[in-house]
Amino acid sequence: MSTPDETDLRAAEYVLGTLSAAEREAYRRERAGSPALAAAERAWEARLAPLAGAVPEVAPPPGAWERIAARLPAEPAGPSAPVVDLRPALRRWRRAALAAGALAAGLALFIAVERLAPRPDAARYLAVVNRGGELPALVVQVDPAAGTVQVRALAAEAPRDRSLELWVVPASGAPRSLGLVREEAGTRLPLPAGDRALLDGASLAVTLEPPGGSPSGAPTGPAVYRGRLVRE
Amino acid sequence: MVRVEDRPHRTPPNREAAELAGLIARVAEGREDALRALYDRTAPKLFGLILRIVRDRGAAEDVLQDAYLRVWQSAAGYAPEAGRPMAWLAAIARHRAIDLVRRKGEVPMPVAEDDEEDWLARVADPRDSEAEFLDRDALLACLGRLEPAQRDCVVLAYCEGLSREELALRYDRPVNTVKTWLHRGLAALRGCLDDAA
Repeated sequence: MSTPDETDLRAAEYVLGTLSAAEREAYRRERAGSPALAAAERAWEARLAPLAGAVPEVAPPPGAWERIAARLPAEPAGPSAPVVDLRPALRRWRRAALAAGALAAGLALFIAVERLAPRPDAARYLAVVNRGGELPALVVQVDPAAGTVQVRALAAEAPRDRSLELWVVPASGAPRSLGLVREEAGTRLPLPAGDRALLDGASLAVTLEPPGGSPSGAPTGPAVYRGRLVRE
Repeated sequence: MVRVEDRPHRTPPNREAAELAGLIARVAEGREDALRALYDRTAPKLFGLILRIVRDRGAAEDVLQDAYLRVWQSAAGYAPEAGRPMAWLAAIARHRAIDLVRRKGEVPMPVAEDDEEDWLARVADPRDSEAEFLDRDALLACLGRLEPAQRDCVVLAYCEGLSREELALRYDRPVNTVKTWLHRGLAALRGCLDDAA
């Protein structure tokens, strides 16, 4: 049985770093069952932390962040993500894109949201399709009366050997393809008549598909963007 | 070695801490962009700490990667009342670096004595963006009251990751003597800091 002082000094030496590998392992095993030891350790980290300020900063090697990002797990570490976010899928896709060297250097996306003059006779839907960060990447406007879906994509980068396909995902039921998103801004896609009734409560999603779109008529690739339709 | 120069407009320490804590909270929600922002702001400091202990750029980058993956995994466990965010991040980086060098068991010893860093002078006159590390005046005053050998052992262990055995070699003293120095130095430091608080 160690005295409180010995316990505290073990925590101190652990923080200082002077213990051997075996002693460090043993310490951590003991700490797992000892809130007092964990508290002593936190106190020592706080006491000695100013010393870290003395160590000069050094720029990390170029590419270090990209290598970290590539090692992040696909699932979010924290609590569940909001509905419109498909961050894990985006992360996988972004990694794939990075690996393919197809991603433009700047990931920051800005979009000019062009407000079309509202027409009084038709409810329209607007989706800001999120790419996981704070910046909208696609603005999708659905006009049931005109039977069109207008996609304003800014730098919706797809790897060269893939196509981005837009889907409407009803509140219940299978996703239906609305067509391929072109690279240039302002793609206009026809809205199938049968889909118009499904729009309330629906989401739009963009998936990464083989060139020319999903061969099966159902999404096959990861969803890289997703947004919920809001009645305008 | 490349040193990141002082930023001309330094963020005040409390705001800096609040911003870093906010980023950690968003990392805990699984936000990769928050981890990236945290990396951009803290990686030079963490890489500096790791490199000083590991002394090999390739190995240091591996440790840096592990450290940020650890931050990603354990961000939800960070509680602001448990310590400043920079101290929490520094602890993660240092412990991973120390684990690596203890497992390897051999670390190239630092070069000639006259090339040594004067760590105490650096604590007193920090050049980098560690406005984060407050409370350094109290630590500095308390370190100043220690026996020189005790003080040097504590500071070298923390900043350069030296083990008891390495300190014993450096001071040409038995390991047990170094252990005694460390314990006396740490106990005196604790008493002094707790009195100051």
